Order: sequence, then C-alpha cells, then structure tokens
Amino acid sequence: MLSRVADSIYWMSRYLERAEHAARLLRVRLDTLVEEGDEAAERSWRRLSGALVGQAPASGSSAIEHTLALAFDRTNRSSMLGAMRAARDNARQVREQISSGLWEALNRQYLELKDLDFEGIWAGHPSAFFGRIVDGLLLLRSIAHSTMQHGEGWRFLELGRYIERASLLSRLIEAYFADMPAEAPQGLSAGYFDWITLLKQCAAFEAYCKAYTARFEPAKIAEFLIFSDEFPHAVRFAVDGVRTALGGIGEGSSPQRRANVDRLAGRLAADLAYGRIEDLMTSRIVPFVREIERQCDDVHVALHEAFIAYGVDAAMSA
Amino acid sequence: MLASLEGPDDRRAPAAARPGADPPFEDYALGAGYDEMFDRDGAARAHYQGLHVRLSALATEELQRRQQASEQSFLHQGITFTVYGDEQSTERIIPTDLLPRIVTAGEWDTIERGLKQRIQALNLFLKDIYNEGKILSDGIIPRELVYGAKHFRREMRGMPVPRDAYVSVCGTDIIRREDGAFVVLEDNLRVPSGVSYMLANREVVKRAFPNLFQAGQVRPIEDYPHALLATLRSLSPSHRDNPRIVLLTPGVFNSAYYEHAFLARAMGIDLVEGRDLLEHDNIIYMRTTVGLTRVDVIYRRIDDDFCDPLVFRRDSTLGVPGLINAYRAGNVVIANTLGNGVADDKAVYAYVPQIIKYYLGEDALLENVETFLCREPAQLAHVVANLDKLVVKAVGESGGYGMLIGPHASQAEREAFEAKLLAEPDNYIAQPTISLSTAPCFVNGQIEPRHVDLRPFILHGAETRIVPGALTRVALKRGSLVVNSSQGGGSKDTWVLGA
Repeated sequence: MLSRVADSIYWMSRYLERAEHAARLLRVRLDTLVEEGDEAAERSWRRLSGALVGQAPASGSSAIEHTLALAFDRTNRSSMLGAMRAARDNARQVREQISSGLWEALNRQYLELKDLDFEGIWAGHPSAFFGRIVDGLLLLRSIAHSTMQHGEGWRFLELGRYIERASLLSRLIEAYFADMPAEAPQGLSAGYFDWITLLKQCAAFEAYCKAYTARFEPAKIAEFLIFSDEFPHAVRFAVDGVRTALGGIGEGSSPQRRANVDRLAGRLAADLAYGRIEDLMTSRIVPFVREIERQCDDVHVALHEAFIAYGVDAAMSA
Repeated sequence: MLASLEGPDDRRAPAAARPGADPPFEDYALGAGYDEMFDRDGAARAHYQGLHVRLSALATEELQRRQQASEQSFLHQGITFTVYGDEQSTERIIPTDLLPRIVTAGEWDTIERGLKQRIQALNLFLKDIYNEGKILSDGIIPRELVYGAKHFRREMRGMPVPRDAYVSVCGTDIIRREDGAFVVLEDNLRVPSGVSYMLANREVVKRAFPNLFQAGQVRPIEDYPHALLATLRSLSPSHRDNPRIVLLTPGVFNSAYYEHAFLARAMGIDLVEGRDLLEHDNIIYMRTTVGLTRVDVIYRRIDDDFCDPLVFRRDSTLGVPGLINAYRAGNVVIANTLGNGVADDKAVYAYVPQIIKYYLGEDALLENVETFLCREPAQLAHVVANLDKLVVKAVGESGGYGMLIGPHASQAEREAFEAKLLAEPDNYIAQPTISLSTAPCFVNGQIEPRHVDLRPFILHGAETRIVPGALTRVALKRGSLVVNSSQGGGSKDTWVLGA
C-alpha cells in the first residue's frame, strides 16, 4: 500500500476516535449539569477542556459557550467538529482506498454537522444530540468493519484508532487524578459523582460495576481503566490493539526498518501487561499515565519512520 | 370498450403536447438553432417520442423531487468540485440535468467514424512534428505556427513514444449546427476530464427514470474504466509481464480530484501524487509500506508544465523530478505523452482538415467550425470589422477563458478586446457565432430549451475505442452559449441508441 495512503487512513481513524471521545465526554457532561453548583461546574469544565483540547477554558463562560468551544470550534482539530473535519479531509484523499460506504457515511455525517443550528439543539435535549453523534461514529466503525478488506489499510485504521484511544484515555485519567483527592469519597460527596462521571466518560460505568460492584474507589477505578485487558476503553486493551494491528503491517519489509517501532510498542504493552495497581501508590498514577502518553507518542513517531517517511537510501540498501 | 383499456396517460394525448403551448412545455421557445427534441414544426422527433410522452404525463413537482434527490446524492457521494477564493473554500456539485440527451444510432456512427479518423491523423501529425517535420517542409502548415505554439515542447523532439500513441485519451467537443450537422469545436488532447460525470449522470438517470426506455435500447457505457485500463496496459513495455499502472493526480485540491479518485478505484490502480513517486537510476518507484515498488505506466492527470521540475516549471512540487529522463530511457510510459497541446492549439485546429488529408488521403468526416486566423492580415481585417458577430478566442487557452462572444459583449468590451487583438494578432482566432443546438432541460421548475454540446471520449492504444456515450454539457443560463463547468455550466446524461 502507498505510504501516503496508509498515513491518511491512520490519521482519519485517529480523528474519528477523537471526535467520538469528544462527543461521549460532552454527552456525559451535559447530563450532570442539573445537579451541580457553580464551583463544581467550573472545575468540571476545566478538567474536560484540559483533557480534550489541552487548555483551560475562558473563565466565566456559560455552559453553552463551553460546549460550543469543545464541540464546534472548527479551527481546533481536537474539538468534535474540528476532528470530524480533519477525518473527512483525510478520507477524501483516500476515498478510492476506503470503501464507498465508509466515505459516503462519513461525508454525510460531516456535512450534517457542519451546518447545524446548535442553539435549537441546546434548547431541546443536547445530551441526546451528542449521544446520536457517538452512535453515528460507531456506525462508521461498523461499516468499515464489514465493507473494507481486512488487509493492510484496515490495520492502519485499527492502529490509528487504538493509539489515539490509549492517548486520550491516559489524558482523561490524568485530568481526574491530578485534580481530585485520591481517597475514596464518603457518601454522596462531590467526589462521588465525579468518579462516576469519569467511568461514564469511558463508557465503563456498567462494566466497572460488574467487575467491582458499585464501590467507587479511585484505586479500583484506575486499575480498571488502565489495566483491564477485556474492557475496550481501557488503556491496556487499546495498547494490545496497537500491537495486534502492528503485527500485520509491512509484511515483507526489511526487519531492521521496523525493529524500533516493534520494540517501542512491545515495551509499552509490557508496562501495562505486567504493571499492577498495587505497585502504583495512588500518588503515582499521574506520572504513570503521563509516561504512557509519552510512549504512545514515541510509537507514533517510530511508526512514521518505519513505514511512511523512510529514507530512499535505506529502502534501496534493504 | 377500447377506451376502458386506456390508461390515464393516454387520455391526456400527450404526444401532441407542443412547445410553447401545452404543459409541461408552455415555456419551451424554439430558437434559431437546432432543437434536439422538436423539429421546426414543433413535433417531437421520432427518437425523442418516448421521453416526450413520459414528460407530458409527469407532474413537474415529481421531476423537482427527483432532481433534488439526485443533487443530494451527488453531495453525499462527494461528487463535487472545489471553488476557492473566499476564506472558506466551498464545494459545489456540477449541476446534473435529469433529462437525457438522445443520439440516434445513425448519428453516432458518423461521430464515431469521424473521431477515429481525427485521432489517427492527429497522432500521425504529432509524431511527424516531433520527428521529421515533413508536413512543415511540405508547406502544409506554417512552421512558425507549430514551433511558436504555446504548448509545443521541444523536449519531446525525437522522444520514443510507445506505439506512437501520443494521444491515448482524448475528449473532443462537438456541437450541432443549425442545419443539424455535427461539427468539431475543439480537440482536447492533453488531460481531458469529464468522463466520470458521463458515468455518474447515467447512474442518476437510471435511478430517476428506471423504466423510461425498454431494456437494451440504450447502449451501455459502464465498461469505460475497463477500456481505459486495457488501453494503458497496451502501452506498457512488453517485457514487463505484470505492469504496474498508476494514476497521477495533482491532489485533493484539484477541481477534478473526484474524477481521479473515481477512475483509480474503478480500474483498481493506485492513485498517486508526485510526492509518492521518486526516480532512481532512471526508474520510477512509488513509496509503499513495504518499500519501493517499480511503476511502469503513469496515467497522468497533471499538466505538462508540472510533470517534472527538472525539465519544466522548477517551482512545481506536484510532479516527479527525473520523470522525463526515465521516460526517455523507456523505463516508464506517460499517457498522454507531453507536448500534445500543440495539436489542440486553436490556430492549428484550423488546419486539421488539411492534416487529415495529408496523412490519410481522406476528407474529414466531421467538419470544423469555420475559423479565421488573426495572424493572416486579410482575415484579421475581417475579424475586426465583424467583431459584433464573431467569437474570438486566445489560441493557447481552454476552459472558456480569454474569449469574447461578440454578439453578447458590450461596445466597451468589444473595444477593449480589439486593442488586445491588434496588439497580438498571432494569439487569436475567430469563429462565427454558432447557435449551439438546444435540448430540453428541467430548470426553474419547468422544461425549457438550453444550449448543449457533446464530448465523447476516445481511447487509443493497441486499438481505438469510443465507449458509446458522451458528456453532454449544458449552458444552464437561458440563452447562454458557455457550457464550461468553470463558468456555470452543467451536464446531462447522453443516450446513444442501439441500431
């Protein structure tokens, strides 16, 4: 497969994951507005903004202003619409490589979103609106799964999805653990709802309750969201996805060209497979997830060097 | 008894619906030109009977609904071209008219034979002028006309061209004169586009009128991508048994990008950009995830000037440095080859009948539009004196740019153009204003005549093939003669009827 095409599929997939993540976070966020005081709301928006777009929100913004900034800022590729737009731009460049069904569904969703009257939606049921966006993006995954050949292009799609997910989850976990008292909340304190919100934002509330019952302890939550190898929105699960996809890429390419990316992905997977929450004092959760984020970036760079932007001399001598 | 067997359509006696009188044709004004549907007396021509009956019975609201559905489907499929200028670039669809333009088997036969003759002669002409130049030494065409042409490429002199197929993909613009004869307006021998719209329009009409015609009456065109691939394959060097063929696009910002992506997918070949290719030891490779892969045939959709910055425009980043050397070494085939623009130059065009006669010893089967060469003083004088009746065109331009339509221009516009004309007469030709034929189109909620042309696509490799269809371009503004999509034109499906 052409390197440029692989790169575009990979980025399309990363941006789709980012858009889905933003939509899910906003859906959950808007559901909790009613029961929140001003100060708690301010904190929640700051946390969300940090996890999504990496910056503090404008102070004194109203809920709709916060939502517009995180969902519809088309100049920011980490806002929901910005990410959708970037995904669609990448898809447009490889539309003959992904299936027509995938391209047309993505194009339609983007076109509908771009000219939306959000004020009208805000007056209605905004959280349900973001829920529908999540569903629409999941539909794209399903169309891709059943209409694309599961060859190399597909594996770049999987790679993009899981490396982005591992990164996004790490950042979200970091935002909560950097900002919240690490001890278990007592009764219906403010923290209680915040931890539930985190679980819901990772689509993990029900799965967590099944695994740990409804006892919301920060250490248990961290264990589940970081180390589960069965739950799709856990960091370890995502990193396993990266490794699996990587295994099927560049078959027949020279071993030395891919050695670095294989090594980095393997180390990251090992840190998660053999790490235990007991070894991380709750105070060490933040540095640990930061390290995961950094390693995800390293894998990304190595991937690029191995398959996308390799030197001509290296290719000729191999 | 008989009356009870008649359906509602028959009771309306639609076959008698006349232009300018009966619905839905009340605003259908026949003009001076040839109308594809109605004859001079306002009766539907025999091959349009089916469509005429159907339209007479169909509510315009229903047409409106189908039109909207088709536009929506184009937008969702991303069959758009991009318009730049304002802060946010906008994507527009090329408007598709739902009503097919119909060409009879007899008409098509004339067109097909004429086009095959023309592409054969033009290929011989290109081979000649880039090698021995016999047509020039024999004095058939002025030497300076060829060597001074904007698109003459001296780099192509003596270049070996596989199968002597200089033009392997061609889209010729044909119009129909007042007397009903088809004449050639322009040969597009460089990187003609529009074939994806020919195919997309067919899909739209199939969906909008699933049973308008009986099965088998309209000749299919779906095999165009297959025919194109076979043509490209036939150009590849014989010693490469499984040649790798790619389509080279300028990228997603090009207005024809949809077409490039469409054709690559339909042929199952890679769509590459210049940055995907590189030259090493006179061989062209593409960069893939498993390493470098050799490329044998490049169907290029970028202009000559941008192909190779080492040879042409140095500032171009769209092409591949070293491509022309690899081509000269015979290690890669470029289709169309470079330098073809000299043969579709508007001044050289005037000589095509002589070119056909010179190489084939035959008279041209398709006539040219009468053309005045402003480089000739006597003809220039005629042009200046009749500027209000003529269309004047810059010789090296295409796409409707740099032209004056005398009868539609203001006095001031004509005077301004005359100054340019007198300053650089070599740069212009003039033609009488021909009222293009009109065909029924659905515009503004009713059926009205609009001017149309016809662009069939000719493929030339081991054999010459024309898929029986064409892009019919439509000037959507009432009375307008400009059909170019860059200037507000649309298009419609073209049906070539079986014998």
